[in-house]
Amino acid sequence: MPKSESEKERIISFPQMGSLYIPVCAALEAMGAKITLPPPNNKKTLSIGARYSPESICLPYKLNLGNYIQALEQGANTIIMFQAPGTCRLGNYAKIAELKLKELGYDFEMIVFDLYKGKFKEIIKKFNRATGNKSVAKALKGIKIGLAKFNALDKIERELLYLRPREIISGEAQKTYIKGRMLIQQAKTVEEASQAVNQTMLEYKKIIIDKSKDVLKIFLTGEFFVLLDTFVNMDIEKELGILGVEVDRQIMLSEWASQTLIPKWLRKKETHKERCVKTAKKYLTRIVGGECVESVGDAVYAAEKKVDGVIHVAPFNCIPEIISQCILPQVSKKEHIPVISLLMDEHTGKAGLITRLEAFVDLMRRNKQQQTANLALSGSV
Amino acid sequence: MKIGIPRGMNYYNYYPFWHGFFTWLGIEPVLSAKTTKKTISDGSRIVVPETCLPVKIYMGHVLDLIDNKKIDVLYIPSHQSIAPKIYNCSKIRGLPDLVRNVVKRNFLLIEPTLDKSEKNQGLYQYLYDSVAPLGITDKKLIKKASKAGWECQNKFNAMLRSGMNLNDAIDKIIKGDFSVETQEEKKKYSVNVAVISHGYNLYDNRVSMGIFDKLEKLDAKAYAPENLSVEQMEKGYSVLDTTLYWANENEMTGAAGYYMVDNNIDGIITLTSFGCGPDSIMIERITRFARRYNKPLLNLTVDEHTGEAGFITRLEAFTDMLLRRKRETIIKSLSKQFGEQKEQKLSQNQTVS
Ligand code: SF4
Ligand code: SF4
Repeated sequence: MPKSESEKERIISFPQMGSLYIPVCAALEAMGAKITLPPPNNKKTLSIGARYSPESICLPYKLNLGNYIQALEQGANTIIMFQAPGTCRLGNYAKIAELKLKELGYDFEMIVFDLYKGKFKEIIKKFNRATGNKSVAKALKGIKIGLAKFNALDKIERELLYLRPREIISGEAQKTYIKGRMLIQQAKTVEEASQAVNQTMLEYKKIIIDKSKDVLKIFLTGEFFVLLDTFVNMDIEKELGILGVEVDRQIMLSEWASQTLIPKWLRKKETHKERCVKTAKKYLTRIVGGECVESVGDAVYAAEKKVDGVIHVAPFNCIPEIISQCILPQVSKKEHIPVISLLMDEHTGKAGLITRLEAFVDLMRRNKQQQTANLALSGSV
Repeated sequence: MKIGIPRGMNYYNYYPFWHGFFTWLGIEPVLSAKTTKKTISDGSRIVVPETCLPVKIYMGHVLDLIDNKKIDVLYIPSHQSIAPKIYNCSKIRGLPDLVRNVVKRNFLLIEPTLDKSEKNQGLYQYLYDSVAPLGITDKKLIKKASKAGWECQNKFNAMLRSGMNLNDAIDKIIKGDFSVETQEEKKKYSVNVAVISHGYNLYDNRVSMGIFDKLEKLDAKAYAPENLSVEQMEKGYSVLDTTLYWANENEMTGAAGYYMVDNNIDGIITLTSFGCGPDSIMIERITRFARRYNKPLLNLTVDEHTGEAGFITRLEAFTDMLLRRKRETIIKSLSKQFGEQKEQKLSQNQTVS
């Protein structure tokens, strides 16, 4: 009997964003899906995406589109997109991307995951549709391994952020991290994933660090995609590590995953967003889409926690982050904390970025010295 | 008691309501002066350069009210969503928050929130929050005032549908003149153009460069989104094969879709502010369908540096093209008719012989 169109074997793909592909692949594979991954975001992805995008649309869209085209060229016939209305443009990305791709002549099905208010059932349903999986047990297993990998990745990433500014030989921690990430990717079970973490932690222990080094600590906050994709943020965390700065990134993948997947009543601790809504209050009383409230809230929280500074990143032209940019100078002044906003687009050069980072680090150092001097003065009186 | 209302953003959509509402409660609404070069430069100075032109202008109007008109109570509402999940652009949602942070003056900020995606942020809460800071908390009174507001708004809408210019309609409402005469077609124009944009772009002559007058001089009749009813704009979505996503999308996608298949309209002009995210997506769709429907389209983007000369040139070129096209179609259909007549004659001749 000839197979009908709908029974054709599905080859799934989805957009790239940092290490997101590792847990998502794990979940999909556990449910029996066949996947083809576009290359990690790079110049070519961007130029392909930009060619077919409206000019003033933001960077994440251009990259998503580039990912889709590359994946379809590799033979994908089903693409997955995550969306959430109320969080800015992202909400209708899928629709325009689909239209454009069809216009370019690609034949595929697009499955949109609506994450509005995190409906767990909806996610499982869509996952099943994408993978053709029918067993609930398999679906749960998929989600479980996915979440385990989200957590595993975050653990080895946090350690990396601690080690980077302190290691004696620059680049060692990065190497261990990349190996660890590979192990996590290869892990087939939840146990294997946690073994991979343990093993990586042991490796990290071998790295010689300068414990007494006076490192500056910053909060890294801003728009989600830029925060999590090292191509888009030009590996800003690594550059800061080299400059002797410890980065405390405010959005981690695992938190985001559990924030969207796990229903409110099951959560024990306050989510990052809830904290931000509270701390941002003095400056921003509304949720206005995107990560605006997170950017402002994190900056205020950074001051409360007495860290040395805040680096705010966003795509050029990102609407909600334009509001953050207008508000952050006020936070900086009133809360006495250095804040810098860095905007990324296809024309941002790495050299320019590093110069700005160096200048900002200098400023934070001077600020810190001043404060300790002031403290010493007031102490001696 | 006076309340300052900046002449920008949602002023162009809802001022008549606010006017009726506040006046009924004995509060005198005070408007900022019309946009000037200085409004723009003052406003631009206090926000980051990437901010879109209408928001910069809005900030300029806020400053005008405080510094020049000496008003210390400002009405700056936030319109989050107009229906469940139908949100505005972040800058419209966070307008009062922006003002609070960038306008470093002493004033009372009245900042009600309208959010139809939340349970407790509907119209009556919004209106309550509009006057409670001024000491008015009697809900019955507020309800009556809202009736007065609706009366103005409905009359205003009727004036717009009749083809009246929005600014003229607002002036009439302020004067208390509620008469709506149907505009008579006094003159035949050579071409008809639909002008698609948000009210805050189209009716601020500093942004739209007085596009209506310019088109008039070019002997083109302009049709605006405001001349359409909501039902007509809703029809437009299906023409462009989409659904409403943004709270301020009717006047763009909806109106463009409607005019796209209106044979009376010879061409469409869109006008957007540089860097406007929502518009860039809507324009993409409008452009695609204009190609499909073979409707001439001109996309204009403006910012504070846009020169008038270039603007006029582009309008001229566009209306010229429309006129040429129109002539060509007329000639084509005439010659077709002529050809048919000839054939008919021939066949008649044959039957006769
Ligand atoms: S939040 Fe910013 S980057 Fe994300 S979709 Fe909106 S404009 Fe684009
Ligand atoms: S919709 Fe566009 S023009 Fe209007 S406020 Fe938002 S970005 Fe600015």
